[in-house]
Amino acid sequence: MKEKKKVIEVKSLEKIYDSGEVRVHALRGVSLSVEEGDLVAIMGPSGSGKSTFMNILGCLDKLSKGEYFLDGHNVSKMSKDELADIRNDLIGFVFQGFNLLSRTSALENVQLPLLYSREKSYSAAERDELAKKSLDAVGLSGRYYHMPNQISGGQQQRVAIARALIKNPAMILADEPTGNLDSRTSVEIMNIFQTMNRTKGITVVLVTHSNEIAEYADRVIVFKDGRVIEDRRNEHPLNAAEVLKNMPLPEDD
Amino acid sequence: MSIWATLRIAIKALYANKMRTILTMLGIIIGVASVITMVSIGQGVSKSVESNIASLGTNLLTISPSTLKSGGVYQSGMSVQTLTVSDCDAIGDECPLIAYASPMVRRNMQVVCGNQNWNTVVYGVSYNYGNIRNWEVDQGEFLSDQDVKGSAKVCVIGTTVAENLFAGESPIGQVIRVQKVPFRVVGVLQEKGTGMGGDQDDCIMVPYTTALSRISRMKYIQSIVCSIANEDETEDAISEITALLRQRHRLQDNDEDDFTIRSQADIAETMAQTTGMLTLFLSAIAFISLLVGGIGIMNIMLVSVTERIREIGIRMALGARGSDVLRQFLFESMALSLLGGTIGIISGIILSRIAAHFMNMQTVVSLEAIAISFIFSAGVGVFFGFYPAWQASKLDPIEALRHE
Repeated sequence: MKEKKKVIEVKSLEKIYDSGEVRVHALRGVSLSVEEGDLVAIMGPSGSGKSTFMNILGCLDKLSKGEYFLDGHNVSKMSKDELADIRNDLIGFVFQGFNLLSRTSALENVQLPLLYSREKSYSAAERDELAKKSLDAVGLSGRYYHMPNQISGGQQQRVAIARALIKNPAMILADEPTGNLDSRTSVEIMNIFQTMNRTKGITVVLVTHSNEIAEYADRVIVFKDGRVIEDRRNEHPLNAAEVLKNMPLPEDD
Repeated sequence: MSIWATLRIAIKALYANKMRTILTMLGIIIGVASVITMVSIGQGVSKSVESNIASLGTNLLTISPSTLKSGGVYQSGMSVQTLTVSDCDAIGDECPLIAYASPMVRRNMQVVCGNQNWNTVVYGVSYNYGNIRNWEVDQGEFLSDQDVKGSAKVCVIGTTVAENLFAGESPIGQVIRVQKVPFRVVGVLQEKGTGMGGDQDDCIMVPYTTALSRISRMKYIQSIVCSIANEDETEDAISEITALLRQRHRLQDNDEDDFTIRSQADIAETMAQTTGMLTLFLSAIAFISLLVGGIGIMNIMLVSVTERIREIGIRMALGARGSDVLRQFLFESMALSLLGGTIGIISGIILSRIAAHFMNMQTVVSLEAIAISFIFSAGVGVFFGFYPAWQASKLDPIEALRHE
């Protein structure tokens, strides 16, 4: 089996929050790598350091010690602006609270990453076209001009996924993506992640504290007290599409 | 991020909060409109003063006895009332640059005609006073050489006096009593309208000889009014008169002049300074209101940044740099102030038109005032928008995303 490209590679990563009086050791030496096309779930109780790890993976926070390579770029030494560019180019974020701009249509929300693109500038027509394609891919063809408050939570999360996908990032980073959703919608969202992962080979890293959600991942990494205590492969991950088929349809549908 | 896209985001954000946007802009609108209105009123006043002075003639010289007494002790034998009729004659005869010279005494007086009376200004002047002021006579004629020489009890009256005493009747040949002395009206002056120093038609002209002997009973005249033949030679004419009068008054080289010569140009300059101060004063007040409007913008932008911390976090997570966020908020405050500035300019122009109409005065909307207040309002946007925008750009993306 040929060696797969490593999307994420972290070496003895440490993060210390120093607020003057208190020093909090959030990460105490984490080394791991994620290969291209993997679907990874990161788990752990609160305070385990998984959120800190996510923030560093997402280039939102700087690490204190160690090294972090994202898609071959050494992110450890980058400035704030360079990190912003990396986020734009290589990472698609999906958050628990959806984080869509209010009073802004689905189409415009999806376009946001294109506005901040530095390697290429997109015309308004190009932006619209790409955003529509991306919304179509998550099954929201009829919802281009809906405002976030006019669509359901599951649909909002799909808009967020469409936004994360629009620039074909090296990976999707999802922080509790199903935390605010009911179980059926959660499976629908996982179905989208799995489909993207299987058909397009997009790397997905998601943080969750739900064991059920972790069942859909190829690999599960568990954090505790700033360290990785478990790193296992799921030999038989659940197939979200099949689970959906067997689920009862919502009553009002 | 392109400038156009940034501008669109800014306008959208402003449109989303219409009421707040309008109220914030109101500060700038009032500021800019008041700058333009105030400056235009100030400049209108200057302009009407200038044209009034020009209508008085710029070739006039007024010589009056010096009232300068500060610190100096007058030597014995010298009087404050130093100008005499012969001084006036000498100026008329011996100064080639002077076209005409007339003595003048003036007094406010009650005049009576039948059962009518009127309070007006009685001027004692020479027959050439009409030439000096370029005054035309509407009916009858001006005072004559003989009237002056013979201390005739005749007068020429202004239209205001004619209307008030004779109400439509022809005044020529009628008799006006001034301090019980009867004067026969020989002429009515052409209407000149209101100008500097009030109604120019509210006056009575009598021969100065008659005024001196019958009304003021003085030997000295109050002033000498003369006109310069050629306006460009004002300075030379003044030094000519100065030399002549110093010689006639037997002043030593180190003595101060015992008279003052004022040209119309001096008066114009003084008035210009006064109206310039007025303009400055009015615009200073207006600029303060512009400043207050600017602080209003800063206030609202700070609120807007706090309200949209989460939005900033989202944008940063999606790849916005600090500079993108800075630019977004800066554009927003600039759009706010430029839009307010434009509306302010339009309302300023309308306001100054209205002021011109209702206050019955001239207003001059100058391009400078428009340009300055436009640039200033853009500056206000940048200046007062910068701090909130800078604060927004310094936010930590993680903190911002967590913000509720």
